[in-house]
Amino acid sequence: MFDFGIITNWIHTQFTSVMSEPLAIFLECVIIGVCLLLLYVVVAIIMIYMERKVCAAFQCRLGPDRVGPWGSVQVICDVFKMLTKEIITIRHSDKFLYNLAPYIVIIASVTAFACIPISRGLEILDFNVGVLFFMAASSIGIVGILLAGWSSNSKFSLIGAMRSGAQMISYELSVGLSILTIVVLTDTMQFSEIVMRQADGWFIFKGHIPAVIAFIIYLIAGNAEVNRGPFDLPEAESELTAGYHTEYSGMHFGLFYVAEFVNLFVISSIAATIFLGGWMPLHLPGLDGFNAVMDAIPGFIWFFAKVFFIIWLLMWIKWTFPRLRIDQILTLEWKYLVPIGLLNLLLMVIVVVFKLHF
Amino acid sequence: MGYIKGIFHGLGSLLTGMKVTFKEFFTKKITEKYPENRAELKMHDRFCGELTMPDPDKCIACGLCQMACPNGSINIATEMVTDPETGKSKKHLVTYEYDLGSCMFCHLCVNACPHDAIRFGTNFEHAVFTRSKLVKTLNKR
Amino acid sequence: MGNNIDIKEKLAAFEPSAEWSDAGDGMFRIPAASFRKTAEYLRYNEGFDFLRSLTGMDWGEDGLGCVYHLENTSTGENIVLSTADKDRENPALPSVYDLWKGANFNEREAYDFFGIKFIGHPDLRRLFLRDDWKGYPMRKDYDMSSNPLNMENEVSDDDAPSYEMTDDGSYILKRHPLFEEEEYVINIGPQHPATHGVLRFKVSLEGETIKKIDAHCGYIHRGIEKLCETSTYPQTLGFTDRLDYLGAMQNRHALCMCIEKALGIEVSERIQYIRTIMDELQRIDSHLLFISCLCQDMGALTVFFFGFRDREKVLDILEQTTGGRLIQTYNTIGGVQADIHPDFVRKVKDFIGYMRSKMNEYDEIFTGNVIARQRLVGTGVLSREDAISFGTTGGTGRASGWACDVRKRHPYAMYGKVDFKEITFEEGDCFARYMVRVKEIEQSLNIIEQLIDNIPEGEYQMKVKPLIKLPVGSWYSAVEGSRGEFGVFIESRGDKFPYRVKFRSTGLPLVACVDTIAKDVKIADLIAIGGTLDYVIPDIDR
Repeated sequence: MFDFGIITNWIHTQFTSVMSEPLAIFLECVIIGVCLLLLYVVVAIIMIYMERKVCAAFQCRLGPDRVGPWGSVQVICDVFKMLTKEIITIRHSDKFLYNLAPYIVIIASVTAFACIPISRGLEILDFNVGVLFFMAASSIGIVGILLAGWSSNSKFSLIGAMRSGAQMISYELSVGLSILTIVVLTDTMQFSEIVMRQADGWFIFKGHIPAVIAFIIYLIAGNAEVNRGPFDLPEAESELTAGYHTEYSGMHFGLFYVAEFVNLFVISSIAATIFLGGWMPLHLPGLDGFNAVMDAIPGFIWFFAKVFFIIWLLMWIKWTFPRLRIDQILTLEWKYLVPIGLLNLLLMVIVVVFKLHF
Repeated sequence: MGYIKGIFHGLGSLLTGMKVTFKEFFTKKITEKYPENRAELKMHDRFCGELTMPDPDKCIACGLCQMACPNGSINIATEMVTDPETGKSKKHLVTYEYDLGSCMFCHLCVNACPHDAIRFGTNFEHAVFTRSKLVKTLNKR
Repeated sequence: MGNNIDIKEKLAAFEPSAEWSDAGDGMFRIPAASFRKTAEYLRYNEGFDFLRSLTGMDWGEDGLGCVYHLENTSTGENIVLSTADKDRENPALPSVYDLWKGANFNEREAYDFFGIKFIGHPDLRRLFLRDDWKGYPMRKDYDMSSNPLNMENEVSDDDAPSYEMTDDGSYILKRHPLFEEEEYVINIGPQHPATHGVLRFKVSLEGETIKKIDAHCGYIHRGIEKLCETSTYPQTLGFTDRLDYLGAMQNRHALCMCIEKALGIEVSERIQYIRTIMDELQRIDSHLLFISCLCQDMGALTVFFFGFRDREKVLDILEQTTGGRLIQTYNTIGGVQADIHPDFVRKVKDFIGYMRSKMNEYDEIFTGNVIARQRLVGTGVLSREDAISFGTTGGTGRASGWACDVRKRHPYAMYGKVDFKEITFEEGDCFARYMVRVKEIEQSLNIIEQLIDNIPEGEYQMKVKPLIKLPVGSWYSAVEGSRGEFGVFIESRGDKFPYRVKFRSTGLPLVACVDTIAKDVKIADLIAIGGTLDYVIPDIDR
C-alpha cells in the first residue's frame, strides 16, 4: 500500500530547507487549504452530475446529455451560471445574518470534509479524538440553516428552518450512537487508526450483527442528517417550495446546494471509513495472494469506490420513497432508531467483552 | 411484539419498493432525443399541428370557414373575377390568412369547408420570434 | 328523470305558489319569499340532500335568480327549482348555505357574477373576480368596457361581508374578520408546487398545525360561460376541452349530450361505443396523472415519472384517433369528429395488457409502502354526510362511502349495458381516495375490454342541420367526469346562441371542503389532501 506520507514529508523537507519552520508550516497550510477547497468543488460537481444521472436512470430517463459527452460539462456550466447570477437581497431581512448563513453552512461542511482520510497518509485533520471533532464540526451547519430561515423574513423559510432544527438535532443522536458502536469495537477515536484496524477485515464483517445494525441506522440517520429524501422536509419542495433557502439566489443558494451534496459525500465517506474500511483494501485472512492483488489497487480508489457505492445506495433510497411527515420523522428517531441504537450499543459491548467478534 | 413486527413489515415494504426502482435502473430508458430523432419521428397522420391548404385551387372563397371560426383566426380576401369565356363573374381567392397564434384547433373550419380545401397538417415546429410570423398565408404556392 | 311525478305533486301541495314550467327538463318556479321554506321542506322532509348544481341566472324582465338542481341520494329522485328577485338594482335571495354546504361557494359565484345578495350567507365575498371589480359581468346588461385592464395590485379584503335582513325589509351589511391579528398566516399559492395550478390557500398555522384555510379561486378564470353566450352551439364545444383538461372527452361528451337531448337527436350505437371507450381512456389518463401527482406531492418523484410514462401510452392512442393529446376536439353534436383509427382496437388491447401488468408496479412501489401508508391512512377524513352536503362527487365522494357515480345513477351512453363495479370505500381518508382511483383504473380497463371487440358498424356522425337552434327551454345533463359529476346546464331562448350555459364544476366542491377536512392537520397533510382531492384548477375557474 502506497503511503502518501512520503510525499508530504518530502514536500515538508523541501520547504524547510529553503525557509524557516513556521513559515513552511504556514505555507503548507495554505497549499492544503487550496487543495482542500479544490477537491471540495470537484467532489461537489461530480456529486451533482452523479445525482442527476442516477436519478434519471431510476426514473427511466437519460438525464443531462447535451453539454459535453454524456452531458458531463452540464454541471460546470451550471456552476458558472450560478456564479454569474445576481444575489437578490430581501427587504426587511436581517442583512448580516442573511449573508452570513450560507458561509456558516459551507464552513461546517468543509471542516467535516477535512476530517476524511482519503488514502494512507492523506489525512488533513487527524488526531486522537477525530470522531468527536467530526461530530462537532458537522453539527455547526444546523446553525447556518436556522439562521438562514430566521433571517430571510419569510414564513416558508422559517418553517423549513424549524423543521430542520428539530430533525438534525434529533438525528445527530443516532449518528453518534452508531459511530460509538464502532468506537467500542475499535477503542480509538482517530480516523486513521480506525482504518488501520480494519486491515484484517472491515468492521462490518468483524463486528457482524451489531455492526450491520449500526450501519443501517447510520445510513438512515445520516441521510436524515443531510436533509435528503425521504427526510428532505426542511426543503420539501411540494410543501415549502424550497424551505430554508427559499429566499436565497445566485451563489448564496449555490453554497447551500453544494454544501448539501458534499455533506452527503461526507456522511457516505464516514460510513465507508468506519464500516467498510475506508481506503483499506479488501483483505481476507489467510489468502495472501488475493490480499496482494487487492493491495495493488491504490487506496484512494478503494475509498472513492466505497463512498460512491454508498452514495448510490442513498440515492436509490431517495428516489424510491415518499417523504415523511415531521412528526413521523421524530417518531422514527425517538421511538425506533434511538432505542434500537442503544440496545445495539449494549450488544456491541457484550460482543467486545466476550470477544465474540472476529 | 407488534412493535418489532411493525419494523420488519415496514422494512419489507420499503425493500419491495426499492426492488421496483432497481429494476427500472436497468430497463431501457424512454427519453426521446428530440432534435436528433427528427428523421424517424413521425406524427400520427391525424395530428393537428396547423391548418393547411394542400390545394388552393379547391378553395372557392365562400368564407364559411371564416364565419365558423370562433376566434377570428381566418381572414379571407377575395376579388371578383370575370371568366372571359362564359362572361360570368366569380369570387376568387386572393389571400387566405390564418393566424396560428389564435387558433384553438376546434375543427369547425375544416368541418365547415364544403370542398375539403383545408385540413390540419402535422407540422408541430411552430416556434418563431415574433407574433406576426404566426399569421400565415395558406394559399401561397 | 326518475319518478318525479310523485315529488312534483307533493311540492305543489306544499307550496301552491310554485309554478311548474314544462320547457326542456321542466322546473318549478318558486317565489323568492317562500323559497327558503320550500328548500327547508325539500331538504329535511323529502331528503333532497344533494345540491347537484346551483346556477345564477339573469332572466331580464323576470329578474335575477338561481336554478337549483336537487337530488335525493337515497331514492335517486331529482327536482329542479328556480327562484328570482325582480329588483335588478338590489336583488336578494335567501341563502341555503346551511342546508347544503356546497351552496356556500356556488352562492358566492352567483353573487360574483350576478350581484345577487344571499341573505344570511356568512361570507359573501367575490369568489373569482377581483374585489375591486365594477359591476356583475354575467348580467345581460353588463357594460363590457367598465373594467379595462387593471394594472394595480389587488388589495384583497381580509374580512368577510354578510347581509342580514331587518324587520322593515332593508339589509344591513356586517363584516367579520377572516383571520385574527396574531394568527400566523401563510399563503400556499397562487404559485406553489403543490396546488396543481394557480389556486391560493391562505392558511392559518399554529406551529405546523393548520387552524383555518381560506381558499381563493379565480386566478385563471376565463369567463367561458360568458363566452358561450356569444358563441353558436358548435363553437361552445371548443371551450369544454379547456375546462378540466384531464377530462376533455367527458366534458365535451356532457355538452354534446345536453345539446342532443335538447334537439332530440338519438346517436347511433357506434357513436355510443366510441364515446364510452374514449371516456374511459380519458379516465385512465386522468387517474394515472392523479397517482403521479400525488406521489410527486409526497416526495416520491420516481413514481411521477412512471405514471407519466404509462400515461403517454394512453395519449398516444388518443392522439392517433383524435389528433390531439390534451385538447382532443373529438365529440361533436350528434357524433364524433372522425371514425376510430384502423389501429385503434389493436392498440387499445395492447394497452389493456400493458396497464394491468404495470398496476402491480404501482402497488409495490407506493400503495404498500409503509411511509405512504403512514402519511395517507387516517388523514383528511371526509364523512359521508359532508361529502353529500358539499357535493364532492367522483372519487372523493366514493371514498367516503357515497355511491355517487353518474354512470350508475343516471346511466348514459353504454354504461347501462356494461358490467362494472362502482368502487366505494368507507374510510373517507386520503388512502381511500387514492385506492378508489387505483381500483377505478382496473374497472375502466374492464369496461373498455367489454366494448372494444364489439364496436358495431354504423355512422360516426349523425345528420345534423348546419345551423343549430335549440328550442326554448332548459336542459341539464351530466356525465361522470374524471373527478366527479360534470354537468352542463343550458337555457335556450330559441336562438342560435345559448341564453345561458353553466358548467357544473367538478373541482369547486372539492376546494370548498378543504377547510373542513384539513382542520388540525399538518402542512404536509394539507398537501396530501390536496393531492388526493384531485382538483384541476381550470375546471374550478371556468
